[in-house]
Amino acid sequence: MADLFHNLILGFGVAVSPINLLLCLIGALVGTLVGVLPGIGTIATVAMLLPITFGLPPVGALIMLAGIYYGAQYGGSTTSILVNIPGEATSVVTTLDGFQMAKQGRAGPALAIAAIGSFIAGCASTVLIAVLGAPLTKLALAFGPAEYFSLMVLGLIFAVVLAKGSVLKAIAMIVLGLLLSMVGSDIETGASRMAFNIPELADGLGFATVAMGVFGFAEIIRNLDAGAEMDRELVQQKITGLMPTKKDLIESAPAIFRGTVLGSILGILPGGGAVIASFAAYTLEKKIARDPSRFGRGAIAGVAAPESANNAAAQTSFIPLLTLGIPPNAVMALMVGAMTIHGIVPGPQVMQKQPDLVWGMIASMWIGNLMLIIINLPLVGIWVRLLRVPYRLMFPSIVVFCAIGIYSINNAPVDVVLAGAFGLVGYWLIKHEFEPAPLLLGMVLGPLMEENLRRALLISRGDWSVFVTRPLSAALMAVAAGLLVLAVLPTLRRKRNEVFVESEG
Amino acid sequence: MAETAGHSPDRSASQPATRNGMGAFVILVLALAPQIVELLTSCAGLIFNFSGRGPLQVLAAHGSALVLAVPGLAMQSFGGGGKSALSSDTLLALIYTYPLLAVALFTLLVRLRAPQDYFGGIVLMALALFALWASSDLQGMHGFSFGAGTAPRMFGLLLLGLGAAVAVTGLVADGPQLAVYHWRGPLFVSLAIVAFAISIRPLGLVVSGLASFLIAALGTNETRWVETLIVGICLTIGCALLFPYVLGLPMPLLPRFLVQ
Repeated sequence: MADLFHNLILGFGVAVSPINLLLCLIGALVGTLVGVLPGIGTIATVAMLLPITFGLPPVGALIMLAGIYYGAQYGGSTTSILVNIPGEATSVVTTLDGFQMAKQGRAGPALAIAAIGSFIAGCASTVLIAVLGAPLTKLALAFGPAEYFSLMVLGLIFAVVLAKGSVLKAIAMIVLGLLLSMVGSDIETGASRMAFNIPELADGLGFATVAMGVFGFAEIIRNLDAGAEMDRELVQQKITGLMPTKKDLIESAPAIFRGTVLGSILGILPGGGAVIASFAAYTLEKKIARDPSRFGRGAIAGVAAPESANNAAAQTSFIPLLTLGIPPNAVMALMVGAMTIHGIVPGPQVMQKQPDLVWGMIASMWIGNLMLIIINLPLVGIWVRLLRVPYRLMFPSIVVFCAIGIYSINNAPVDVVLAGAFGLVGYWLIKHEFEPAPLLLGMVLGPLMEENLRRALLISRGDWSVFVTRPLSAALMAVAAGLLVLAVLPTLRRKRNEVFVESEG
Repeated sequence: MAETAGHSPDRSASQPATRNGMGAFVILVLALAPQIVELLTSCAGLIFNFSGRGPLQVLAAHGSALVLAVPGLAMQSFGGGGKSALSSDTLLALIYTYPLLAVALFTLLVRLRAPQDYFGGIVLMALALFALWASSDLQGMHGFSFGAGTAPRMFGLLLLGLGAAVAVTGLVADGPQLAVYHWRGPLFVSLAIVAFAISIRPLGLVVSGLASFLIAALGTNETRWVETLIVGICLTIGCALLFPYVLGLPMPLLPRFLVQ
């Protein structure tokens, strides 16, 4: 135990110096300012700002990068809450309740609780890495393809549960997302699938393109509908209180705690774990809440839980990154790139050979987190004031920012047109009460799911029973089945009641 | 095809009978949408000199495929089934168009209790059928290893089933009517996006950014033009400084003919 904390102290010894703190502060500030532009997600922000760290010494560069990362992530959450545009897969869930809170004039508390939840989760998981890092790695090693496939199924079921409306429609949306994720080159054979010889589709549909379309553009188009003006004016008039009230804090404290635990555990699983974390945390909150119907209509726990889970997972996902060398998501992959440039090659040996850098990095993530809360709590007022900009000026600006943002990812005009097309799709989805969040999760998990399914069946020589005979996989499948039943039951019960009422009347 | 889905069924509440007729007609258009889209692109190809099939060829190929698909299939099964005889156009007719035509007919005959769900489910079915057609040329299972086409087909079939289930709920349970579609917002926002995509390379960020800002502003009648113009110009200048200089993104700023 003493040894483990010795490591942390070593890390902080490396990371804490006035210069480093200043670098981290600048990084977090710049990251937030860029990340908050609608249309520019976390990945794009980190990628854009990566080059400014190249000239610094390794520790300074890493710590600045940590600042940028947290700033960008928080900026992404800000756009999720204020304008309903998620910057990356993990903040899709934040839009569900965050944007509703903003609509009710409670954008300030939502933004503040997101920052506070992230910070608490970051602190807890930093300690967790120090205490449990090595033993937990063994858990990740126990996961074979069959277990991963079952985990993905479980993740998709989470998406069903978090949907507001019909379970059937949510499942249909997931499958549509899975189908969309198949577009592009096949990972194993390289065959081009459903790409119709359009070169820009060879790489598949980008997450940013689809997310910007079905969330951002669709939301704008819907807001322009006649009759929606009333709705928007309400948003602008009702802004009350910037900071969360005591009641908010009491309500979100347990949610933050549970989100942190769940996020820390899922973050350890390489590949997909961190993405599932925020969905899982939201589902858990919705399931154990006394009044689940409040979720999706502006429950503060629905912002606190996924934001803290997301952050805890980002922190613990360093464990597979450092021990197995597997980056858990695109942002972490960029971080690996940056680490390699500074001569740190993630892998089994890095913990022994360069402990100062590894622990310095973990410590710097914590400092990044701290900077985030220092910068952003005062800034909440400014972000909320953005909501007061009249919508007739706001929406063309968002359209232009989104268009530039999507164009800048690949310098591809086709991507911009695709995002526009998905905007119309999203408008149609809204009109038919299909929810876009499950679709996006299906799209993100699709490739991982297919890959692991293929591998598992190859290893088991085509035997499908492998998913229920391996104990861990069977347990995950059982949880998934249980959740699905829980999700369906209320609908069935309501139907029965309706029938009852009809026959009575 | 998604765009076709976009202006799908009708505008306002009217009698159920006309609604079904209208709905069936929209499904009919949806059923022929891939053929129509290809015809239109080939016409555009004449003007802009794309390579590819000309409009007459497209018309002939799809026309014969639509007419001859069933006899062709029958012949093939009688002739002992050579494997690769069906062309892609014929497959499109068989996999996508015919089932949807059947659905359109079916729509005329039933009473819809929840049109919103019914038409939502039908469009999902159409997407699934289209995906099944698009992945029909990919390799399937060999042994117990998946081919490139296995997973798309699996999920395609699944979506087909789920779409059908959603449509069926629209027949058996009462539910909401179709929501009202508006044309102004979607039209001008899409136009703004397309205008940006087309003009960013030749005309640069300054021109295309401002243009798409102004086009998007046409999407609502609340716009006050003087104010919009001023904000648009400021925003464009801001973007022109921010993206290429501060963030270092390679992006053309001014029209190409001015730079040279």
